[in-house]
Amino acid sequence: MKLEPEQESILRGEQGQALARALRTLVAYGEAFGAKRLLPIKSGHLAGSFGAFIFRAYYKILEQLVADGVRVKVPTTVNPRPGRDLNLINRITFRRQNFLEKSFAALGVTPNYSCVCYDRENIPGRGDILGWAESSAVQFANSVLGARTNRNSVLIDLCSALTGYTPEFGYLLDQNRRGQVLVKLQIEKMDANALGFVIGHKVVDGVPVLENYPFSRVELKNLGGAMAAAGGVALFHVEGLTPEAPDLKSVFDGEPRQTITVTQQDLDAIRAPDPGRAAMVVFGCPQMTFEEAMELAPWFAGRRVNKPVWFCMVPDSLERFRKTEPYQKVVAAGVELNTYCPLAALTVRPGKIVLTSSGKCYYYLADTIYGTREDCLKGCGVKP
Amino acid sequence: MTTLKGRGVFGGRASGPALVTRMPMNFTAAFTKLANLLPSKRSEIQDRHHELYKKKIRGKVLVFPAAIGLTYTGMVLLQRMYEKGRPAAMIVQRADSLLVSGTVLAETWFSRGVPVVEYGSDDLFEKIRTGDRVEVDGKTGEITVTGK
Repeated sequence: MKLEPEQESILRGEQGQALARALRTLVAYGEAFGAKRLLPIKSGHLAGSFGAFIFRAYYKILEQLVADGVRVKVPTTVNPRPGRDLNLINRITFRRQNFLEKSFAALGVTPNYSCVCYDRENIPGRGDILGWAESSAVQFANSVLGARTNRNSVLIDLCSALTGYTPEFGYLLDQNRRGQVLVKLQIEKMDANALGFVIGHKVVDGVPVLENYPFSRVELKNLGGAMAAAGGVALFHVEGLTPEAPDLKSVFDGEPRQTITVTQQDLDAIRAPDPGRAAMVVFGCPQMTFEEAMELAPWFAGRRVNKPVWFCMVPDSLERFRKTEPYQKVVAAGVELNTYCPLAALTVRPGKIVLTSSGKCYYYLADTIYGTREDCLKGCGVKP
Repeated sequence: MTTLKGRGVFGGRASGPALVTRMPMNFTAAFTKLANLLPSKRSEIQDRHHELYKKKIRGKVLVFPAAIGLTYTGMVLLQRMYEKGRPAAMIVQRADSLLVSGTVLAETWFSRGVPVVEYGSDDLFEKIRTGDRVEVDGKTGEITVTGK
């Protein structure tokens, strides 16, 4: 790899030993994939936001970085909190949470605590080079915003944010951003979450191109989150909608490698036949935005939920939602609004079946059943 | 004795008995369970959905198609290598960014990384069987298999 003078100086330890190690990490990481250089990044997003006590090596590294007084070189956001205060088992499991959050503050990380960092705090532009982790955020930045980031690991994200660089390989290069699999849609009733889940399973880690469909921004968020979870997809295109796919001709190099069709039947197959058997219902994963909450709220007005219902929200969105009238109605209906990551907060909950309309939550959380938004509203008793 | 030529992804030379699976490895599912807190079970795969459930990776040359799972994977692998109970090396059909991150982090920060070699062809699983003695070179990509 060929390094710039500024990068050489960091490697020599002129900005401290910890930062030298961070850069050495990125060089070794890049060389393993044949990267020729390190590129400056516009922003960072960190995924390692759960202070689970088992990640001792992670905390050792954070201690070194904080002791050296290094700070992030670019605006950097961070994933949701794990719900440490929810119960005793979470307080034990996530007992390094305070240490973790103090470290982030010392390193200059923006305390947004959301996986939907691209909603307000960290919005990349088309063509921006990023050093992000968090599969759903990587997916949205690459696919919907046309920015460029690899699917980086926890700690690689931090090394990038602190040095301001990421190695050039993978999704940073034009040739790896072309369409590979054409996805035809035969769907009567769109459910972006279920569609993402099905495509993730079928495509695994190629670049899928969906036939034109007028997905909303919220739908693209949930579609991408589910796709990245169920498979390893880090970039998708939608014909005539996303920035790098004005039409099918220009997004493929010749013919697609493969063509698949997703039907209404495929979507219906993952729906639980009896959503009412769940012990609780979770909305929001990736976290729910202000717009989603406002859209969902009318269903709860004047009604009462018959089991625990969570809205897992972007903290900034929850703040704004609190000031609205629909918020009062949702609370009166018995909904609990929080800013946790449900995947972390609900990991330990013996015997409780969770019903969710999130394809990502359905994939990752054990003992979870899937329903469309309508199924979930029925499942908690607010829709007949 | 069989010699295979793969691509050297990371690290130097290492050897050990092979532990082979055709199933992708989800390291987060395998090594973040309660049981993994016991020192005797740190290196034991606790992913109930995996055919290597309850097998230990300590000192083994782990042979598998690819890593799957969360962007936490690199940190989980780092933790596995940082403590006692790391594998000797890994041979994969496709080295992805998360797998490589784990070993790069372990080496750069704690000098505890292990070699990784990429070998794409499907005859990997015929040429190497569980229990075979395997030597790998993470620089040249050379894999040497000598029977049990």
